[in-house]
Amino acid sequence: MSTSNIILHSERLELSFGGIKALDSMSVEVEKGQILSLIGPNGAGKTCFINCVTGYYRPREGQIVFDGTDILGMRPHRIARLGISRTFQNPNTYPTMTALDILLAARYMHCRAGMMECLAPFGRSRREELQSRRSIEEVITFTHIEELRKKPISMMSYGQRKQVEIARALVMQPRLVLLDEPMSGLDDVMKEMVCELILDMHRQGMTIVLVEHDIQTVMELSHKVAVLDHGQKVAEGTPAEISRDARVASAYLGRNEADGQQAACP
Amino acid sequence: MDPVITLIQLIISGALVGGIYGLIAMGFVVAYRNARVFNIAYGQLAVVGAFVAWTFVGSPAAPRLPVPFAVVATLAVAVLLGLVVEWLLFRRMIDRSQFATFVASLGLLGVLQGLVMSVWGTKTLAMAPVFPKGPLHLGGIVLAREYLWAFLVAVLLAFVITLFFRRTRLGLAMRAAYDNQAAARTLGVSVRLSSQVAWSISAVIAAAGGILIATVGGVSMALSELVLVVLAVVLIAGMDSVAGCIAGGLVLAVGQNLVSYYAGAYFTGIESVFSMVLILIVLLVRPSGMFGTKPIERV
Amino acid sequence: MKRGSRRQADYGRDVALIGGLRGWTALAVLLVATVVLPQLLSVTDNMKWVTFLNFTLLTIIAVLGLQIITGMAGQISLGHSAFLMTGGYIMAILATKLGFPFWIAAFLAVLATASVGVLVALPAIRLKGFYVAVVTLAFFTISQHIFQNLSIAGGIWGLSNVPGPSVGPLKIITDTSWYYFLLLLTAICIIASASLARSRIGRSFLAVRDNEVTASGLGINVPGAKLRAFFIGSLFAGIAGVFWTSYVTAVRIDQFSLWDSIWYLGMIIIGGLGSTAGAVLGVLFLQLVRQVLHEITASGVVPLSINFSAALTFAVYGLAIILFIAFRPHGLMAVWQKLKTSYKRWPFGE
Ligand SMILES: Nc1ncnc2c1ncn2[C@@H]1O[C@H](COP(=O)(O)OP(=O)(O)OP(=O)(O)O)[C@@H](O)[C@H]1O
Ligand SMILES: [Mg+2]
Repeated sequence: MSTSNIILHSERLELSFGGIKALDSMSVEVEKGQILSLIGPNGAGKTCFINCVTGYYRPREGQIVFDGTDILGMRPHRIARLGISRTFQNPNTYPTMTALDILLAARYMHCRAGMMECLAPFGRSRREELQSRRSIEEVITFTHIEELRKKPISMMSYGQRKQVEIARALVMQPRLVLLDEPMSGLDDVMKEMVCELILDMHRQGMTIVLVEHDIQTVMELSHKVAVLDHGQKVAEGTPAEISRDARVASAYLGRNEADGQQAACP
Repeated sequence: MDPVITLIQLIISGALVGGIYGLIAMGFVVAYRNARVFNIAYGQLAVVGAFVAWTFVGSPAAPRLPVPFAVVATLAVAVLLGLVVEWLLFRRMIDRSQFATFVASLGLLGVLQGLVMSVWGTKTLAMAPVFPKGPLHLGGIVLAREYLWAFLVAVLLAFVITLFFRRTRLGLAMRAAYDNQAAARTLGVSVRLSSQVAWSISAVIAAAGGILIATVGGVSMALSELVLVVLAVVLIAGMDSVAGCIAGGLVLAVGQNLVSYYAGAYFTGIESVFSMVLILIVLLVRPSGMFGTKPIERV
Repeated sequence: MKRGSRRQADYGRDVALIGGLRGWTALAVLLVATVVLPQLLSVTDNMKWVTFLNFTLLTIIAVLGLQIITGMAGQISLGHSAFLMTGGYIMAILATKLGFPFWIAAFLAVLATASVGVLVALPAIRLKGFYVAVVTLAFFTISQHIFQNLSIAGGIWGLSNVPGPSVGPLKIITDTSWYYFLLLLTAICIIASASLARSRIGRSFLAVRDNEVTASGLGINVPGAKLRAFFIGSLFAGIAGVFWTSYVTAVRIDQFSLWDSIWYLGMIIIGGLGSTAGAVLGVLFLQLVRQVLHEITASGVVPLSINFSAALTFAVYGLAIILFIAFRPHGLMAVWQKLKTSYKRWPFGE
């Protein structure tokens, strides 16, 4: 496999909070156009990894290269402008904005109008506004949130916020999307819809990093799965390889429980 | 006069005022921590206190009540004022954002200003002496007796307040509530009681501070500028410690005294500018303020 | 599919500042009303009401600026009147002491004010919430004392004989001509502010106000957005300050007080935080309250001393702010919106 196919490459990331090692020599590579899933028990460091890639946390050591650019230590907005967007595990609250507001705000980096141009009721700012409106309307249809357009986000249900969160990430037209547990807390119908959405995104050529606890969905969707435990990558491979891996079971069930289970049913 | 003596005298008289500043700042901190209100009207509470005290104490020409009675009566009025403000306004806003309560305190600022102006007018009033007056000679240094008294009373009061928060059940519970409101509620600390007590204490300290400053400089609307002093002290010292407030007050007041003596002739109002510049410097050096440690941001 | 295509056609209207026949009709009515207003008022008695309108227009421009800084970008500013002061003083110095032609002086003064806005924002952008308020308060105090001590600024007496503008051969001198001039200026500022709210930059302000963490994830440079908000906001304040000074032909230190800063904040709360129309409504509301109080005391119906009437203004303003933040925290805009929907739904109630 040629290296040019790798869009995101992180190497030996080290991140710790006080005594806790959140990431411990964590290396992973993501191929262009693929879906990589990160799984692991609570507190394994999955969100921390996403935070490092998107610039919210700064790893003590290591390297993160996105499409040939070293992005370690860059500030979040710079990284976002390179074409990386993410969703947050806990759908964010916006005290005043509606879905439409936040989606239009997410078009920020695709518009060019300068500060003074934005004060005029005509010209570039207006043209871009129209264009933004058109392109977010596509995303709205794509993510099935037509009914939520003018609803304040603070009034939405958890599931609705998650939908808007994905839409927000898509409006940015990223090359790489990091989805932090997009399906947790959703009912089965919604889960199915999000799965379809992820596949659609994949078909459009986006690279996706998916953090998800629902093993079944992960196995169905991903090209590659990486398993994290205590900040370390304990296994990596195709879904088929991973489901055969004993270490995964132990990481997931916790060592003692796994042992106990083995003892109970030999 | 000997420049060294002058310097020492400036430092000491500054320090005496600084003690009062420290006390006053504590009242602001109590409202901020325990009632969760960034009370921009705090200076006005001191103004009201000073004018009420003036009403009870009387002018030098026509004294009214004996000083101890007058002071007790003033503090009682202050408690009442604190409770009324809490009851009418901030109790209704307990679950609102800090921005909302801040805006409410802006409104309170206007209301209290209007109250004072309509009742007492806008002139500076002289108050009958609360403390024994006269110069006090210490070596070559001359100090005003009332400064010393005011300082001693301020420090004593600060000590009492500290004892309340460290030794009494209620005080400890209120401190716990600041750290974790939900936990405090499960322990049976009433948010309402804690808010009432915080407002009473805050208003009493403001009034006491107002009186102490007034004994030194007279009673006037200018006392409302105390809120600038308070902000400076609080930012220098930190919201966390009482000792910090006193120390911050000392730094500020001594600094003000020095700049106004040595540079006041070239620039009127330099002491105000001094305190504001001090604020800016503190905020630039520690962007999260000196209020405490920078909170960890979780994403 | 059909629904989709209908929506496509709608974006233009959605994006436009004024939509629909009703919108344009309302605008036309408003325009005619504002234009004939001074004629109607001059029938009554003196120019008092036109003067009142002129100060109201100037205040609207100033408050639009604060609405951008505090309402849109969420940065609490207690120093807004200091921006007016800066603009006013620089204008007066340039025009009277240094002999600059009016429009050049005005342009430079506005630009200087906006730059000062950025300067104030520099420490403020690293801070949050009340720290920003404290920085702006410090800025107010410092600039007040600087202008008071500057000999070129005339010390405590300030500067007088500040010239008025002239547009081509037209000299703006009378109150009525000032009214039309300021009306035009205010209209431009309102349009600019409303356009900003529906633009990339304006939305970046909203995003920063609502959630700084996610705003940076959208590619928005959060400190940069705050700097811009202060720049544009103080630009508006600079315009207001320059023409205020020019209108009253003088500048003095007590012309722009800390109280004004506070009332400006009150106005955006009362009108509705974050909206252009809210800023205008808030100014109109408090200005009317002040004038009504003034009329009551001046008419002598209620025997009140001058002192008491001033005190009354403070108390009523404060009370208005308290009542709005406690009971109508979204201001007059929300009240208006509610009236509109209940009117549309009549007779079916809420
Ligand atoms: N800002 C922070 N300060 C201190 N510790 C942190 C911080 N962020 C994360 N951690 C710690 O790092 C570890 C990894 O956390 P992380 O959020 O990455 O877990 P996760 O794999 O996303 O778990 P979950 O499945 O529950 O979301 C945890 O022990 C967590 O407590
Ligand atoms: Mg997580």
